[in-house]
Amino acid sequence: MAKKISAPLERTARLLDLVPYINSHQGIALKELASVFNVTQAQMTDDLTTLWMCGLPGYTPLELMDLDFESGFVTIHNAETLSKPRSISFDEGVALVLGLDLLRSTISPDRSDLLTKIDELSRRLSDVINLPSALSAASDINQDISAAILEAIRNRSGLEIVYHSLYRDETSTRTILPIEIVQNDGQRYLSSFCHTSSDFRQFRIDRIQSAKMQTVSQEIPKSSGQSSGHTSTIKVLTPTREIAERFKQRELSVNSEFNVESFSLQWIERSIMASGGSVSLLAPAEIRESISVMAQSMLDRYKAR
Amino acid sequence: MSRKIERLINLTIALLATKRYLTKSEIFNSVDGYEGTAETKERMFERDKDDLRSLGIEIEVGSFDPLFNDEAGYKIKKEKYQFELGDISSTDVSLLSLAAEAWQEASFGDVAQKALLKLRSIGIASDEISIPGSVHKLNDGGQDLSLITKAIAQNQILNFTYLDSSMKSIERGVVPIALSTRKGYWYLSGVDQEIQEIRTFRIDRIQGDITASAGPCDFESPVGFDASKALSHSPTNDFAVIDVRVGKATSLRALAISTKSLGEWDQIRVPIFNLDSLASLVLWHGQDALVQEPADLRELLIKHLQALVKNHG
Repeated sequence: MAKKISAPLERTARLLDLVPYINSHQGIALKELASVFNVTQAQMTDDLTTLWMCGLPGYTPLELMDLDFESGFVTIHNAETLSKPRSISFDEGVALVLGLDLLRSTISPDRSDLLTKIDELSRRLSDVINLPSALSAASDINQDISAAILEAIRNRSGLEIVYHSLYRDETSTRTILPIEIVQNDGQRYLSSFCHTSSDFRQFRIDRIQSAKMQTVSQEIPKSSGQSSGHTSTIKVLTPTREIAERFKQRELSVNSEFNVESFSLQWIERSIMASGGSVSLLAPAEIRESISVMAQSMLDRYKAR
Repeated sequence: MSRKIERLINLTIALLATKRYLTKSEIFNSVDGYEGTAETKERMFERDKDDLRSLGIEIEVGSFDPLFNDEAGYKIKKEKYQFELGDISSTDVSLLSLAAEAWQEASFGDVAQKALLKLRSIGIASDEISIPGSVHKLNDGGQDLSLITKAIAQNQILNFTYLDSSMKSIERGVVPIALSTRKGYWYLSGVDQEIQEIRTFRIDRIQGDITASAGPCDFESPVGFDASKALSHSPTNDFAVIDVRVGKATSLRALAISTKSLGEWDQIRVPIFNLDSLASLVLWHGQDALVQEPADLRELLIKHLQALVKNHG
């Protein structure tokens, strides 16, 4: 998080940055300029009026900046001294280097021209902020898939996806109408209407194995809604970080109990199995029973040798 | 208030435009806005210097003539004030724009937007290059990434409480050397001061605030450390042999280095990086996965299965 600076200083910084921006965008509409700098038009007019009073010592019309904005379009002249953008700050450099690194991982290897440019920019930025090669970001999402998803959302078209469901351990082909990309716990999901299951579904993007454009009906049946969830009660036997993260619990103590909501009983069953002896499922009873039977039959197989 | 802002801008312009150092009296006489007694002007000027520094604008102090003990003078070096990345092509501008747009709306996203604004002010139009844009976005996850990167640049020690795998909170003191993000998580690598070895921490497992303190003055960053490789496993010679049902256990198969067909089952070889997490992944797949080798993994699984039977009987 960037250090907070006071409002007058923030405004000073904005005025300094305004000059080179107008200088390279002569004749920009006042309205657009305000939106680029994320301020109201009234504030922008105020800013420009203040700038109008600034210039080189002497402060005669010869030395003052020559700003014109009364027509609703902004031009600037006689602003040589401030005409180049200010140097980027340390944080800005960090943000760009990390962004470039993420970008690098999404570009296909046959665009070596772009990859070389990215490496070069990254090296130059690192020099400017004096922080060599300590930052790294990578995307694990296939480039073709991300391109198809973005295009489908933009064109409101459908997609045929091959998706691996972790809790069912099944790979299925589905026809979906993507709605938006949502982020949850650092993971990105494609929120969609799934025509295959006639319901709304969220697909984890990194588990989509392929995606291609498909014409689908834009209509979403009125009756569809989120299927109801299941509540499970879990007792902690050995608190571990793995358990805390898997069931999204902040505090765990021996013999404490907590409830988990899940739309899939299979997910609960697999999660308890994967937790080994660290927890015990108290409810629902049928899953408890099923775990006991499954674990016994697996145990028999291990012992059979 | 706008008087002060005008003064700061006029001071910046004057100190940028001057070829030689300007003395204080020259500044007070020529730059608009310095008024009042000598003492008031003095105080104003000191405040202004600090304010400009907090905006990243450094005022250099020097004298006209090093041979005489002259009055100190001030100027702002153009090359330090200006954004200087050398020759920039329109493709470079589009790449940097895409880099800035990779950030989600988060506090670092604002910072990235500010950088983007400066880029656009260079006056080079961006190319419409055909990069589809990534679905993956960067998010700071509410973490103070700025504190961490500053500590990397200045070799500071970061102190924090870290949750270990058995849920114990342990105080750590680390000189950070790298910051990475993978699959939506942020990782911090650094030299743990207690054991003097490189360790990598997942930032969301840090409890409470991170504080920075002065680092060891003789700290030398380990050579050959590659941030992008810090998160991948080092090669291992330990492998597990696991039977998996045909068409099942996709996540285990994803780790396999070889697959042999046994009819209804396939036999896969999987590298072992961590016995506990591999056991957990095998258990997740229930009756679709059966470990043949090694013996210690089988024993661990038998122990877990016995506990599962006992706890759910």
